[in-house]
Amino acid sequence: MTVLAISGWGVLSAAGPGTDPLAALLAGPEPTPPTSSVEAPPKGTPAGLGTEGDQPPGLESIPVTGLDVRQRLGRKGTGFLDRATALALVACDQALEHGGVVVDDSCRDRVGVVLGTTQGSLRSTMDYSRETLVQDRPYLVNPALFPNTVMNCAAGQTAIRYGLKGINTTLAGGRLAFLQALRYAQNALRRGYADTLLVGATEELTDQTAWSMRLSHPDADTLAVGEGAALFVVSNAAVGTDPLPHAEVLSVVHGYAPDGAVETGLGGCVRRGLAAAQVDASEVDLLVTGEVGNERRETAAATTALGDEPARVLRVKDVLGELQAATGALQLAAVLGLQGGSEGDGRCAVITGCDADGGVAAAVVRRWRRDGATGG
Amino acid sequence: MQRVVVTGLGTVSSIGIGVDEFREGLRSGRSGISPIASFDTTGFPHVHGGEVPDFVPEKLLRRLRPHEWGRASQFAASAARLAVEDANLADGDVAPERAGTVMGTTSGESQVVEALTAEQVNAGLPGMSAGLLRQVPASRLANSVSAELGFAGESMTVATACSASNYALGYAYDLIATGEADVMVAGGADAVCRWAHAGFYRLGALTERVCSPFDQDRSGILTGEGGVALVLESMEHALARGVRPHAEMLGYGLNCDANHMVSPDADSIAACMVRAHTNAGITPADVDYISAHGTGTPANDLMEAQAVLQVFGDTPPPMSSIKSMLGHTMGAASGFGAVASTLAITEGFLPPTMNWSTPDPDMSGIDPVPNTARSTTVNVAQNNGFAFGGNNAIILLGAVT
Repeated sequence: MTVLAISGWGVLSAAGPGTDPLAALLAGPEPTPPTSSVEAPPKGTPAGLGTEGDQPPGLESIPVTGLDVRQRLGRKGTGFLDRATALALVACDQALEHGGVVVDDSCRDRVGVVLGTTQGSLRSTMDYSRETLVQDRPYLVNPALFPNTVMNCAAGQTAIRYGLKGINTTLAGGRLAFLQALRYAQNALRRGYADTLLVGATEELTDQTAWSMRLSHPDADTLAVGEGAALFVVSNAAVGTDPLPHAEVLSVVHGYAPDGAVETGLGGCVRRGLAAAQVDASEVDLLVTGEVGNERRETAAATTALGDEPARVLRVKDVLGELQAATGALQLAAVLGLQGGSEGDGRCAVITGCDADGGVAAAVVRRWRRDGATGG
Repeated sequence: MQRVVVTGLGTVSSIGIGVDEFREGLRSGRSGISPIASFDTTGFPHVHGGEVPDFVPEKLLRRLRPHEWGRASQFAASAARLAVEDANLADGDVAPERAGTVMGTTSGESQVVEALTAEQVNAGLPGMSAGLLRQVPASRLANSVSAELGFAGESMTVATACSASNYALGYAYDLIATGEADVMVAGGADAVCRWAHAGFYRLGALTERVCSPFDQDRSGILTGEGGVALVLESMEHALARGVRPHAEMLGYGLNCDANHMVSPDADSIAACMVRAHTNAGITPADVDYISAHGTGTPANDLMEAQAVLQVFGDTPPPMSSIKSMLGHTMGAASGFGAVASTLAITEGFLPPTMNWSTPDPDMSGIDPVPNTARSTTVNVAQNNGFAFGGNNAIILLGAVT
């Protein structure tokens, strides 16, 4: 089993930039969402939610605040970005800096991107489709915005901005997208297709996603909906990294429960993940699930598989809302943020996920305590 | 490393449903192009595309209830069902957890998104229906296949636009080669939609009625649709259940232009070919046929030809584009190319590039197999796939030895 070394990251969540604010929110006695409000973004930053009157009633929104694309990335190449792509680009910028990754001609074809999404930028696609219905002529769409309707937009733009000519893969896995991306990256590194991968996921919160959740989510009456992006600098641990990794993804297991038996399927992923990682259940002191609202099946499945409930069970969506594709990326960010505690050094965490159809996945992560681990 | 073989082919295409119809379509140069019926084309200057008008999912699917799934997922699951039938793979022939799905797509459930958009235009965002919203996630393309076939292994949808099927085949190949799975169903699906039709038109990439790749006067793509799936299996597993493989998958290569979202890059495509050849353990001289990406736009075909000449020298192997028959089926395109490559190997013919009349002096040396299928022996076929975002993916298939 190829172990993934994580040597840097960029994390954007409503908790604030980096892993520590998220960890701080989760570590409180009663995890509560950050106080954030819908703000008009600075010039050059794609808006998420529109005016309050457009918001679905009864749905709490937890957007990322303080995003300033031009300040971080400059004006060049940022004119037509959608919000999902902008979040990914800023997170990538932070990850490269935090991981000390220098991309030049000697290595750029060995540096790649594996990014998770649900349906790309739903707003971009719906707005584009809408133009074909409301314009005087159906073809009067803006050609410059056409790439934003394609789901690999964020990964492609990331490659262009940073000159990353290695493998470049977008996985449309919804809530499982990030765990699938980790799994995909594990194979790519095992097969020697890349030396360094930026592995992450991005999800935007717009009026379209807010209404989509409000109208179709099983827990819509009590739901909060959020957004975010996180990218991690990942390489093959067997090759070694400089600096030393902050954490290692020891195993990632993904499957499908065709009969709808998600708890059984997910439990199997956890058991196989522990076996592949050669980790005993007693070494696991942290479980971070992708559950939202009234869901409890990931905790139940993991607890059964581990034999006992881990010392800590955290749910990132209790503080960040429904994150769709960003779910797993911010679960891993939470694990990394919590590693500062002395009890965390060398201990293992389990990350779980499942989707509405029957997809299931779990990862086993070993945390290492490093000085200066705060990150971008 | 396990050897990886192709044991089943499934196609839901504008030139035929099921591999027999598809093969005869390729051999006879059948056109799948017709006036678009799945959306109102009023006001569009160009109204032709490659739809699958005879698609009745109820006839093909055994487990899925079609109305619960969008058209792209219906395509994916139906193609997968056809592929496992072609592979003679019954329930119980493979342990469910040793079998998985990887499907590629450009736009996912585009017709579902468009139906929701129409609801928005009528009644605002609150007017969207919950049933359609639940069908939006593109992850459902792979999940539809896993549910239809009862597979419990990995279930991934790769969204790397128009090379996505090759990506899917590549990842599936690795899982079998490394022993992590015994059987993988891989391919892709997309449905014709207004927004892509409008977008390609405004990019100047959409032709009116006829797609003529590698012709001097080529003028663009026709938007198409369909679903395609291949059953990949370890040689050991296929032989153990007494199945004769169609072909062997030899390897693949991926890279990214990192240059422009929509314009292809010849040097980068050439580098991707070298990667694929290295991964497959072959040299350019081993390749007997190239199933081109061949969209029929002036820029794509030129870049592809330049890359081929760069890698293969002045006399590259014949290279044809089945998009001249199917139109551009987006995320399914390189999957159809993979099926065409497999058939070239098993049946000993090269599918033609239809609608070709005038050689392009900028592509001298390129043999597009014009207008008529050609009988020949193919031991190794290269299947090209390129995409928006600079996502290049090339796979290599070979005769089983």
